[in-house]
Amino acid sequence: MLRVGIVGVGTMGRTHASAYIKLPNTQLIGFYDAVTEAAQRVASQFGVQAFPTYEAMLEQVDMVDICTPTPTHLDLVLKAAGAGKHILCEKPLGRTLQQCEQMIEAASNAGVTLMPAQVLRFFPEFKQAHDLVLAGAVGKPAAIRTRRGGPYPRAANDWYADFEQSGGPILDMVIHDFDWLRWTFGEVERVFAKALTFKKLDHIDYALITLRLKSGAIAHVEANWADPSGFKVDFEIAGDAGMIAFDSRFAMPLTVAKQESGGGGGGVAVPESPLAEDPYMLEIKHFVDSVEAGQQPSITAVDGMKAVEIALAAIESARTGKVIRLGGGA
Amino acid sequence: MAVRIGMMSFAHMHAYSYAHCVKQLEAEGRAQLVGVADDDPQRGQQVAQQYGTRFYESYEALLDAGIDAVIVCPENVKHRPLTEMAAKAGKHVLCEKPLATSKADGRAMIEVCKANGVQLMTAFPCRFSPSYIRLKQMVEAGELGEVLAIRGTNRGRNPGGWFIVPELSGGGAVIDHTVHVTDLCRDLLHSEVVEVYAEIGNGFCHSDFDDTGMLTLTFANDVFATLDSSWSRPKVFPTWGDVTLQVVGTKGLVYMDMFAQNSTLYDDRNMRITLEHWGSSIDYGLVSAFVESVASGKPVPITGEDGLAAAEVAFAAYESAKRGEPVQLPLPE
Ligand SMILES: NC(=O)c1ccc[n+]([C@@H]2O[C@H](COP(=O)([O-])OP(=O)(O)OC[C@H]3O[C@@H](n4cnc5c(N)ncnc54)[C@H](O)[C@@H]3O)[C@@H](O)[C@H]2O)c1
Repeated sequence: MLRVGIVGVGTMGRTHASAYIKLPNTQLIGFYDAVTEAAQRVASQFGVQAFPTYEAMLEQVDMVDICTPTPTHLDLVLKAAGAGKHILCEKPLGRTLQQCEQMIEAASNAGVTLMPAQVLRFFPEFKQAHDLVLAGAVGKPAAIRTRRGGPYPRAANDWYADFEQSGGPILDMVIHDFDWLRWTFGEVERVFAKALTFKKLDHIDYALITLRLKSGAIAHVEANWADPSGFKVDFEIAGDAGMIAFDSRFAMPLTVAKQESGGGGGGVAVPESPLAEDPYMLEIKHFVDSVEAGQQPSITAVDGMKAVEIALAAIESARTGKVIRLGGGA
Repeated sequence: MAVRIGMMSFAHMHAYSYAHCVKQLEAEGRAQLVGVADDDPQRGQQVAQQYGTRFYESYEALLDAGIDAVIVCPENVKHRPLTEMAAKAGKHVLCEKPLATSKADGRAMIEVCKANGVQLMTAFPCRFSPSYIRLKQMVEAGELGEVLAIRGTNRGRNPGGWFIVPELSGGGAVIDHTVHVTDLCRDLLHSEVVEVYAEIGNGFCHSDFDDTGMLTLTFANDVFATLDSSWSRPKVFPTWGDVTLQVVGTKGLVYMDMFAQNSTLYDDRNMRITLEHWGSSIDYGLVSAFVESVASGKPVPITGEDGLAAAEVAFAAYESAKRGEPVQLPLPE
């Protein structure tokens, strides 16, 4: 039985908590949040403890799940590793590559498991596409397109709107697609991107990113925080023997229309569809089972760092107008 | 008075649709398909029969047949010589896209038409799409606020034939499928492309022509756009391809899938599923506008300069892929 503490009681903290309370081999001990009242409110909803300090929580648990804004990950990971606790950390693993390196080193020195929550690998449509590609269903992939986004995300202190914290939609959101692309198609050679990020518009951001992969395939990624009509995801993998296409707009088994629609807003958009097995649950189950079995999870901390590296290259390209080549080459 | 039209070459399949449109205009009393000429006499004769018009043994003979204007649809590299012939014979020209395969050719075509007092129009039928016209209205009415970014696609299948012989086509997918969406962006933004970056590949056909193109365009007004010009549609894809445009503005976003007006046909006898298009013919709008300009002497709505500006983006894309970095426009003359 793994005793679990969650840091951060925002959208992701609550989503993850719902998974831990269902798993047979975990026990949700409690929450810590910088805002004590928030931690208390959520803790009472789940019937668990709210800790006054992070350190106090670390003493009572075997693992922590870090669900706080990106730049806070480093400090929380270092403290957990120092206390010998296993760590599931929300993506992006760090705000900078250096932060990621520090986390990886700390976890490795402490001999604890550190897994970045690249949950897309557990979304059935993305997992299936990955498996189909590896099975050769489309032949050799040549052109890949992904699209992700919707309304501008709103959260505590509007932290997504602070580029220094969130990294905008390129680092915060399409890091999912970057990880999935690397996982499915291999390493990235170079990146060229254009973004609205540096225009500092009022709650509108948008980026179009072109990646050349080492395999020779070309990928195009859309990061959209400018679509008020709702969260949408699509992808298309065209190869020399076929194509796989998915569009969340057309994969909705359920459509409800109420006479008066309530106002939206609230937390960051999270892809949702009724599934017997929730992707967040599958992700957490994989982490917990790996830790219990003493095995390395299939998503490594280095994977988390590499996804950050691609995202930062895209941001750098958008900022400078230059092509950014990965892996040190000029 | 009906505009008398001759058609020069049916190498490009769009010529068939244009001929059909001229026949429609003929029925309306606005145009007359006087005849056709073609490098390939067999094709020329067959087409003449198909459209109930006369086959001329040579382009010279067609140009001598008392026509007012020509529609030029040969292999891309022959756009220039045929346009020059027609212009020197005093005929107005509607030329298939891409206007030219080099900047020098495009410039020469524009010049020769000007020198001979004839009009040169580039065949960009997407401008006549009712969906595009509606999108443009929204943008011009300010419904999206200030336009910030555009995501475009013009994907299709490898058409084969001379399209994949670079000596005749000037390239592959990028020269074929860059110009339509580029033209729409220019028309929408009233701004010129100042930089092009392109990743170009041949991952579908693994041959010496390009079949994959992912372009990033930056406009003088700072709007950026990407354009997927790949021949990435599989052989079993239910339709030829697409033209899509997503325009992001400060006040909202509009998505256009230009050829979405289809019904799906499930055909057991041929074991095929196809999308049957029932949207308006955009080629009719194009040919009708050309005929209207020739008849009235009004300037054509899409000029040779428009055609060259769009083609130049494709030239720049090839240059960018060669250099591995963004290329600034205009390219040197
Ligand atoms: N996998 C996904 O689909 C997905 C979706 C959304 C967010 N995320 C990621 O999850 C993380 C959290 O995002 P969110 O939308 O839940 O944010 P949120 O703003 O809803 O919640 C963050 C919480 O962390 C608390 N907090 C801030 N700093 C803290 C600190 N130093 N110590 C303790 N608590 C602190 C805040 O008070 C808040 O309650 C981010 O890294 C984000 O990128 C992932």
